[in-house]
Amino acid sequence: MRALVPVVLLAAVEVDAAAVSAMVTDAAGAPVPEAVIYALPASGKLPATAPRPAVMDQINKEFVPFVIPVQLGSSVTFPNKDNIRHHVYSFSPAKIFDLKLYSGKPSSPVVFDKPGPVALGCNIHDWMVGFVYVVESPWFAKTAKTGSARLDLPDGEYDLKVWHPWLRAELPAQRVKVSGTDAQASFRVDLNPPPKATPH
Amino acid sequence: MSLPKLRSLQARIALFFVILLITVQAVLVLLVSVSGERIAKDRIAQDLLVGERVFRRLIEQSNRQLADAARILAADFGFRTAIATRDYGTIVSVLANHGARIDANVVMLADLDRKLLADTLHPEQRATEFPFPDLIALAERDRQASSIVLIDGKPYQVVVVPVLAPVPIAWVAMGFVIDDRVAHDLRAVAALHVTFLSERRNGRWTLHASTLPGPLRAALIESGSAAGSKVGLGFVKLAGEEYETLAPVLGSGPEGNVVALLQRSLRESLEPFERLRSILLVMTLFSIGMTIAGSVLIARSVSRPVNRLATIARSIRDGDYSQKAAVEGQDEIGELAASFNHMLDGISAREEEILRLAYEDTLTALPNRAMFLDRLQQAVLTARRTNDPVSVMMLDLDRFKVINDSLGHAAGDQVLREVAHRLRELLRDSDTVARLGGDEFAVLLPTGTSDGVAIVAQRILRTLEAPIMLEGQPVDIGASIGVASFPEHDDEGDSLLRHADVAMYVAKRANSGYAIYDPRYEEGRQTQLSLLSELRRAVENDELSLFYQPKIDLKTGMIRRAEALVRWIHPTRGFVPPVEFIPFAEQTGYIKRVTRWVVERAVQQAGEWHRDRLDIAISVNVSTRDLMSNELVDLVAALLQKHAVPAEQLCLEITESSFMEDPARALETLGRLHALGVRLSVDDFGTGYSSLAYLKKLPVEEIKIDRSFVMHMVEDEDDAIIVRSTIELGHNMGLEVVAEGVEDHSGMEFLKRLGCDQVQGYYISKPLPTPQFVEWLKARRAVEQKPEAASA
Ligand SMILES: [Cu+2]
Repeated sequence: MRALVPVVLLAAVEVDAAAVSAMVTDAAGAPVPEAVIYALPASGKLPATAPRPAVMDQINKEFVPFVIPVQLGSSVTFPNKDNIRHHVYSFSPAKIFDLKLYSGKPSSPVVFDKPGPVALGCNIHDWMVGFVYVVESPWFAKTAKTGSARLDLPDGEYDLKVWHPWLRAELPAQRVKVSGTDAQASFRVDLNPPPKATPH
Repeated sequence: MSLPKLRSLQARIALFFVILLITVQAVLVLLVSVSGERIAKDRIAQDLLVGERVFRRLIEQSNRQLADAARILAADFGFRTAIATRDYGTIVSVLANHGARIDANVVMLADLDRKLLADTLHPEQRATEFPFPDLIALAERDRQASSIVLIDGKPYQVVVVPVLAPVPIAWVAMGFVIDDRVAHDLRAVAALHVTFLSERRNGRWTLHASTLPGPLRAALIESGSAAGSKVGLGFVKLAGEEYETLAPVLGSGPEGNVVALLQRSLRESLEPFERLRSILLVMTLFSIGMTIAGSVLIARSVSRPVNRLATIARSIRDGDYSQKAAVEGQDEIGELAASFNHMLDGISAREEEILRLAYEDTLTALPNRAMFLDRLQQAVLTARRTNDPVSVMMLDLDRFKVINDSLGHAAGDQVLREVAHRLRELLRDSDTVARLGGDEFAVLLPTGTSDGVAIVAQRILRTLEAPIMLEGQPVDIGASIGVASFPEHDDEGDSLLRHADVAMYVAKRANSGYAIYDPRYEEGRQTQLSLLSELRRAVENDELSLFYQPKIDLKTGMIRRAEALVRWIHPTRGFVPPVEFIPFAEQTGYIKRVTRWVVERAVQQAGEWHRDRLDIAISVNVSTRDLMSNELVDLVAALLQKHAVPAEQLCLEITESSFMEDPARALETLGRLHALGVRLSVDDFGTGYSSLAYLKKLPVEEIKIDRSFVMHMVEDEDDAIIVRSTIELGHNMGLEVVAEGVEDHSGMEFLKRLGCDQVQGYYISKPLPTPQFVEWLKARRAVEQKPEAASA
């Protein structure tokens, strides 16, 4: 999972609309899951799409899923599926908040109104870590265990970007042209995961 | 210890052990010292390395603890919230506040780009590079990092931990200043002197904290940079003391390096050895003391019995065998003591045997001359102290030579044994009977006076009177005894023996049985001896003759009695007065021979006169000695029979004192004489001290008033009274009274008036030789018819 991820263009972009398959691997060539792939129109004109709400569960004293990409302005709920309380917080500049000790579903969802990564922690369980990645574009996807993700993009030219919590350095965007045919992209990422804190 | 003491066994034993001990201990101390220092130096290097490891571990441990504390602090939600504010003032204040919670002296905050966000030491300093990026790099990997670094020239223990939210959002560095307390805490565990030095980039050394006392710090700074610069092992001399030193670099930073100087004093390392040496010294002294005490005890347990044995040996030397060595225990000393006792028994037994042989006459088993002389000396010495008399008797057998020559030596030996046996039987155990040699015996009577000894002598003579049976034949052996007494005759033992010998010789010559020593024997010994032999010759050659003095019966005026008086007409000297030889004869015992002659002659005369019908009784004087044997009785009986003389014709006159020596014996003899019918008269009555009661027992018929009273009675009233009362006394006891020494008519008349029975004296007639007496008597008888003539 550490090391560089080569990004391979697998298909040509459709004229009308097409899917872009992105593959993220690490330096050792292993597939990298939980990586966020998003596309920014090269024109810089973002469609006025209404953001969809998202859910970040806490199950068995872990954030589930580990990473959720959301569109700017999305509201995220943090339902507590455990029978104990959690205190979810974030000190990330994109969104500073904390949900004081609660169980079940907090009263109101958190609205992420700044782009960028938001690291989530629980003040009670130090090892709990999760990320909300806020992107301005409505086109984003998260790599599965296979390390691949699929983006359905209208024809056009895009800057394809990848993000991962342990990404050592920001990778340059890959410009893809979508014109009816499917396109492919691959990223080789250099990951620097922190030492795993032990749950207790 | 003085030299004479060293000669004693115990001192030498003690000295040996003390020297041995001192030598061993000295070698031990030397070994401990030499090897101790070497071991200490070897050990000190190792100890230092171990100490360094411990030291590093301690630092690590301390770092970890501080890091843990820092991490907990950094996880504080309030802290993180404050950090998240990005408000500088807030951040500085939260750093100071939370840092104080764990006593951090400095707290810094850096962003993920290692830019300094805040610094409590320098609040004004911002956005500079974080000074210890290496630590952040380490902390990225290990979630924490620590080092000892210089901040503003001072060493700090710095830990760096991330601020997690929950991914690192910043780095917090917390610094803890290193001071003496830290150094002491480390020393407490690492057992090393700990000094923290810094080496600046400019090469300057500074001491920051140390466990060394002040003066040594100064010394360290003085020798200073040199000591620090020499990184590695080595001995550093501080204030005269050697320190093994190790100087590991603890950490380096932009300002310079921090170096820990780990030191161990050689003296401290040597201390256990010093202590060991002290203990050894104390042990040595103690052991020496114990050794001396022990040696003295052991030596004493050896030497004391040995000394005791020596003491006993000395007393053995002095002839004292009474002390036995005490046998204590089964050890060699005990064996020695036992052997000693056996030796003692052996010596004493042998000596006894030798003494027996040396002091005993083998034939008779009586003491010999040597022993007798020894005992005599002892007895005299004792007698001198106690003033008791001691008497010595010399006894010589009269007829031993004859027996020996005629019957042989065996018979002679038998005689000697028998004599010895009889003597031993007779005498008390306290008396010493010895055979001096030949037929010579001696008796030592430790408490005898010469008078008492005379009785003993008589008893001895009597016991030897019994014949000894030799080859079935009775053999008579007579003996002669000489007596000398202490202190009467001499005060020296050998002189006494010599005197007794002289007396014995006198007795032998006189054939008188025994003689008591008289100095006159010695004075004119030759004269005496010649007188004795002349007297003997006189008896044998009839140089003696009897004179008769008549006694007149005052009632009848008739002469019916006469006293026979011995006269010695010496061929050359002429008439020898009786006083010149009678007492001498009595002393030497020769008087017995004289008495025998007188009695023989007198009885013979009486027989003649009886046959001639002269009708005159004869009185004879007998001595004490005559009463002490049966000889006289036998002699008288035999003579009376032989000459056919009626017993009443013989009268024996005995002196009053004669029976005082052995009254029982005298009485017995007198009794037997009386039984013969012989008339008995007490001569010299009134001169002795006999009691009337005793006189009453005597079987006598008459008493004679001594001439000394009679001679002066007419003029002397006292004598007259004595004479009168004697006469009355005699008559009251039924005795006839005879007065002698009547020299004139008035005397005779006086006595006649007093009722005296008989008188004799020069007035009637002087003693006359036989022919003249017979003549005188016949003439007198012729006129006896006319009583008046008697008084003419
Ligand atoms: Cu929680």
